[in-house]
Amino acid sequence: MARAWEVPGLGGRARFRDAAGRVILTRWSEMWSYRDGTQLGEDIEELHAMRVSSRRLRAAMDAFEGAFPARSFRPHLRQVKEITDVLGDARDLDVAIDRLTALLSGMRDDERPGLEGLVARYRAERATEDPHIAALFDRIEEERFEKKLDRYIGRHTGVRLATLRPRPPD
Amino acid sequence: MAKPRRVTGLDPDARLRPNARRVLAVRLDEVYSYDGLVADPRNVTEPHDMRIACKRLRYLLEIFGVAFEADLSPFLAEVRGLQDLLGDIHDCDVQIPMLEAHLAWLGARESGAARRLIGETTSRRRRPGPASEAAFRAFRRELDEGRRADERLGVHALMSRRRRERDELYGRFLDEWRRLKAERFRPRLESALGGRP
Repeated sequence: MARAWEVPGLGGRARFRDAAGRVILTRWSEMWSYRDGTQLGEDIEELHAMRVSSRRLRAAMDAFEGAFPARSFRPHLRQVKEITDVLGDARDLDVAIDRLTALLSGMRDDERPGLEGLVARYRAERATEDPHIAALFDRIEEERFEKKLDRYIGRHTGVRLATLRPRPPD
Repeated sequence: MAKPRRVTGLDPDARLRPNARRVLAVRLDEVYSYDGLVADPRNVTEPHDMRIACKRLRYLLEIFGVAFEADLSPFLAEVRGLQDLLGDIHDCDVQIPMLEAHLAWLGARESGAARRLIGETTSRRRRPGPASEAAFRAFRRELDEGRRADERLGVHALMSRRRRERDELYGRFLDEWRRLKAERFRPRLESALGGRP
């Protein structure tokens, strides 16, 4: 599983509001860093890492909700939830395909057609998930969600992506 | 999925630690709220919700670790272990209904194919000439081929395997949960956080 990114400048003496900005923007950057790999679809671990990061981000947003006005914060949370949900459908199929394929060699000859048929069906279903993911990512880009989130978090916590500069672990 | 409980009494302009203590207390309480509800291995929703509660607690222990003097990583590892077990149970709970649905789909496809085969054989037998025996042989051949390619056998085998795995995983999960409670996981974590808020 992908390791969580370290949150720059987060120390024991931080204020809750400042920590909220640092953590949320770091977790956002962490999640969004898997976007290209997820869309490319060559390695199922990219999508998995993106989904885990989206869960980390949601957990952080829930925890720090008190640092923001409730009404204006919710749409941001909803957008992240949508990302988790869309990736979840694809992830369930990736897991199923991966596990079934691993099981195939240990199955009896008369049991194999069932598994092969199932893998073929799941692969076909999985292919239909890609356009949903691509459409969601395109919409997030078009709506400039990252910029809006950055500005929003900056307004309420004083932390901005440009100065925070979160980085993946070495 | 159960929504996370709202944490009250937070002061955004205060230090991280007292606020983190409040948030973690609520998330820890959420995990323990499933205590009695996961005792029955037939339950599906409750272990899934408990897994999500474990995830929330785990991710917040990762974030808030810096705010406390005590090392929270052993607690993090315990929560992750529990979450992993619940995750494997959830994988079975997702897959078993998918396999049941697939079996129903295969059954419908099979009966459609059998109806088509019977229809074709009947029309062949109606043709003039000594076709009756040949039509029967062709019918048997196609039926045998269909039986050999029957996908249901493998799906049934997989379903039994997944059910066995789930039973075994659930047993391990219950043992682990009992162990954590016996080893006073909650009071130990609360003490590491400096007591209840």
